[in-house]
Amino acid sequence: MPVEVILPKVDMDMSHGTLATWHVAEGETVVQGAALFDIETDKAAMEVEAPATGRLHAISAKPGDKVAVGTVIALIYADGEAVDLPAGPAHALPEAAVAVAAELPAVAPVAAVAPTAGLRATPAARAAARGAGLALEAFTGTGPQGRIQRDDVTALLGAPAEPPTPLRMPAVWSPQDGPLQFSHRKGAGIPIVLIHGFTADSQSWAPLEKALGPDRALIRIDLPGHGRSPRRRVRDFADLARMMTEAFDEATRPFEAVHLLGHSLGAALVLATADIRARRVASLSLIAPAGLGPEIDADTLTGIARATRTESLAPWLRRLTATPDAISDDYARAAMKQRSDPALRAAQADMAEALFPDGVQAFDLRPALSRLRMPACVIWGRQDHILPYRQLLAADGEVAIHLLTGAGHVPQIECPDRVARIVARSLAAAEAPV
Amino acid sequence: MNAMTPESALRTLTYAEAIREAMALAMEADPTVILMGEDIGVYGGAFQVTLDLVDRFGPDRVMDTPISELGGAGVAVGAALTGLKPIFEFQFSDFAMLAMEQIVNQAAKLRYMLGGEASVPVVFRLPSGSGTGAAAQHSQSIEAWFGHVPGLKVLQPSTPEDAKGMLLAALADPDPVMLFEHKLLYKTKGHVPAGHYLTPIGKAVVRRTGTDLTIVAGAIMLHRALEAADRLAADGIDAEVIDLRSIRPIDRDTILASVRKTGRLMVVYEGVKAFGVGAEISAMVAESDAFDFLDAPILRLGAADAPVPYNPDLERASVPQVDTIEAAARRLARREV
Amino acid sequence: MTAPDNRPFAIRTYAPEALREALRRMYLIRRFEEGAEDSYTRGLIHGTMHLSIGQEASAMATCMELTDDDKITSTHRGHGHCIAKGADVGRMFAEFFGKETGYCHGRGGSMHIADVKTGNLGANGIVGGGLPIAVGAALSAKRLGKSDVTICFFGDGANNEGAFHESLNMASIWKLPVIFVCENNQYGMSTSIRQSTAVARISDRAASYAMPGVTVDGNDFSAVAEAVHHAIARARAGDGPSLVENITYRWRGHSKSDRNRYRTKDEIEEWMTRDPIARFQGELIAHGILDEGGANAIAAAAVAGMEAGIAFAKASPSPAVSDVTRYVYAEALG
Repeated sequence: MPVEVILPKVDMDMSHGTLATWHVAEGETVVQGAALFDIETDKAAMEVEAPATGRLHAISAKPGDKVAVGTVIALIYADGEAVDLPAGPAHALPEAAVAVAAELPAVAPVAAVAPTAGLRATPAARAAARGAGLALEAFTGTGPQGRIQRDDVTALLGAPAEPPTPLRMPAVWSPQDGPLQFSHRKGAGIPIVLIHGFTADSQSWAPLEKALGPDRALIRIDLPGHGRSPRRRVRDFADLARMMTEAFDEATRPFEAVHLLGHSLGAALVLATADIRARRVASLSLIAPAGLGPEIDADTLTGIARATRTESLAPWLRRLTATPDAISDDYARAAMKQRSDPALRAAQADMAEALFPDGVQAFDLRPALSRLRMPACVIWGRQDHILPYRQLLAADGEVAIHLLTGAGHVPQIECPDRVARIVARSLAAAEAPV
Repeated sequence: MNAMTPESALRTLTYAEAIREAMALAMEADPTVILMGEDIGVYGGAFQVTLDLVDRFGPDRVMDTPISELGGAGVAVGAALTGLKPIFEFQFSDFAMLAMEQIVNQAAKLRYMLGGEASVPVVFRLPSGSGTGAAAQHSQSIEAWFGHVPGLKVLQPSTPEDAKGMLLAALADPDPVMLFEHKLLYKTKGHVPAGHYLTPIGKAVVRRTGTDLTIVAGAIMLHRALEAADRLAADGIDAEVIDLRSIRPIDRDTILASVRKTGRLMVVYEGVKAFGVGAEISAMVAESDAFDFLDAPILRLGAADAPVPYNPDLERASVPQVDTIEAAARRLARREV
Repeated sequence: MTAPDNRPFAIRTYAPEALREALRRMYLIRRFEEGAEDSYTRGLIHGTMHLSIGQEASAMATCMELTDDDKITSTHRGHGHCIAKGADVGRMFAEFFGKETGYCHGRGGSMHIADVKTGNLGANGIVGGGLPIAVGAALSAKRLGKSDVTICFFGDGANNEGAFHESLNMASIWKLPVIFVCENNQYGMSTSIRQSTAVARISDRAASYAMPGVTVDGNDFSAVAEAVHHAIARARAGDGPSLVENITYRWRGHSKSDRNRYRTKDEIEEWMTRDPIARFQGELIAHGILDEGGANAIAAAAVAGMEAGIAFAKASPSPAVSDVTRYVYAEALG
């Protein structure tokens, strides 16, 4: 077998070399270790020694040829060895035929996006405009150097811009377990079970309790993630109603029957509980009940749920009442103090997301309302910005309706005496012998 | 066992004590854990972090090394490669530069170079940061240097609880971990749970929720950012403050979620501003889907483009302080940038 | 009274079978490196490589008494150490070819060749990089109560690195079971030992660190084996480290980019007459350990082993490009 003479790799980054000159001609004798040919690389010229002793044949690269490393450019035959040259073209491939392995894949041209030349806008503003299908030229920038910011877009559109993907509160709370907590005020008569609204707690009943007088037995239940109840995860209204039924059973175990009184989300739970435990409920009092229509001011609910300071909480609180003055700074400060735990706020925000997705009440208690057979009254403020009382007018049910002019979403705080009078009458009617 | 029991639910330790407790717990539980470093024995370490550990575990496990950072770090690497779990203390993080070869060329790359056939479970502890008047060669914050090195994990606790949990997590981790401890935090106190627990590596934590802007910070800068956020709150600016905790790997999800919510991002770090942690976080946000939520340019607050100076006024001015963080955040929240 | 045994140390100390195996591995090292060089010139291996042809006795004699529990740290010129410690040349070739079946799954190449299972903690691309690591491995052995020793191979160039001095000092103050084996092939790349090093012998450095230092003819298998034998005994006895300097010569250039401008052809040829393999084979034959036929069989087996190794490497799959970040961490980062 002849010994192959190859164009050697002599440098790290070398893929090709140029043959400079042969020191031995075709057919001549070479001695192992003697200079055989010179090559040039990008960096240097160097002499290549003969790998064996014998006669040189089959030279396939001439001076000036650029040859890939590893290419056989000649053969050395031992003395006496038959020279059996392979047929066909020379071994060395011209440069053009050498595959260039390192070539990068072609980059596909990116679809041209018409630039809005010269306009400064933040990414959020651009996204909002894009979402509304409007060109940036439609907006006037009020930011530095006339930059269009998100507010500039949303102000013109008159609605909060839809973010490209749903906003989520960061998961800064971990769900807890355990039963809902309740408190018991000893007293006479059939007890009233009080269920507060979203973001409130049992203490919010204080004005009404005072107005109702000290005699009546009371049972106050805290919603999950509110007051002293554990921060349980609420998947939907049915989930919440199940928790409340369990708490109701536990809290009312010593009593044959109870009155139910609830506010807003609490009133919706009163309806749901009365639907399930009808025989144990003497009467219902519903203050601004949720669940009677899709509409709700979810901004206020989430605004309250997320507020981290008195300053950001107060404006939302003031939307609860008919007149903003009804919420004093001291009240807002006290309310914020009770909301200082970020985990509680996050849990409540997630609860709002579960119950009022996309700003809509995702549960409907109108069928439950129509099934009520025990005495029931509804108390609603005409100036309620959160849940409009007109929802009730479209519902069917054997309930007494009390609409209060000058009251908003929290009549039990705005005018507790009026509410107490109505409740007392309702209880008396229910307790009167038939 | 020592006489630290019974522990109440609200036991309080300093950051240095928390680290020491973590090392003691690990050494009690695992005889392969050793400590190495300069003057960590009877001297107790330059910052007294190892204090009495040599009395408890003996000089064979609490080894004073010669002043040989390169060799010492390399011995720790070799020991980690062959069955020990060394915790190597650099007296100052600045001295890690003498050992860059062993940290970057060896510890970080051995697993990869050997095709996964070896582990280097070494922990390097690096007292770091300015504010001590120690000037240019004893005050640097070079966390980002190591953030550039695949194969390393880079942690930066800001509380005593995390300092303990991160050291234990670093020891439990099969890869080399750089634990940057801030010198100004050593004496700060906080709640530290008793017993063994791990602070997850690669997880940031929201220390304050807010809606108006996101501030990402770590170590001493976290505390300054939280103080600035309290001041901003008085003016109705609601900052969300994220404790970065882990520089490599970085918690992309927590940062992006916050930016999507607030639309404004500021990164505060003690290293030199250019080419630092802030650059990485800014670019990460700019490359992500959170870009479309940005309603203002991203701001970085880092150290001045100078070595840490000696003069106290200059030193203070060279790194972000509560005032500068507050002012920058205010401008960002008020749409002035 | 019997006559003193004047045979060379290796002949009178090791079993004939062990000596023949040592010769076989030396041939395998030579053929492996020639095969690697040939594959490189054909463009089958990229990067570069540092050949130890001419230094085989130093590698093999040093590893003569080691078990798989004993560790070595190696150098950029580490193919010989790897084979001497018991590695499989097929997996070594596969690594050189960048294949998934290689010792480092194609992530390391020639300069990081390792075989942790046989105690080879790896070649090292940094001059002096392995010195502190070897001390650390010896610290582990001592701390864990094992009798293992660590051999730390390094070249003459590393003796001027700070890591060398720090490592010898720490090994000495802690009396660690490590043997520093300097393969002095007289050139750090192109810079000769005379130009670079203040002391006449690198073993003179040992005195500074209060350990024994000895210089031997690195091409004399028996001389190397004897020096390392005493150093290992000292290490296993708990008496601490030693420094052994093997004077040798690399026939090839520093790397594949070397133009050999710093040494003469005469010098190279003069050293080639001191071929450590021929010399060791001659000794084995002279002392009746081996005959000509046996020697030829060993040499032929080495060629066959080399060819089989290359065939295995060529046929092996490359790593998936999508796995480029695999092995950076113990678990993939989320």
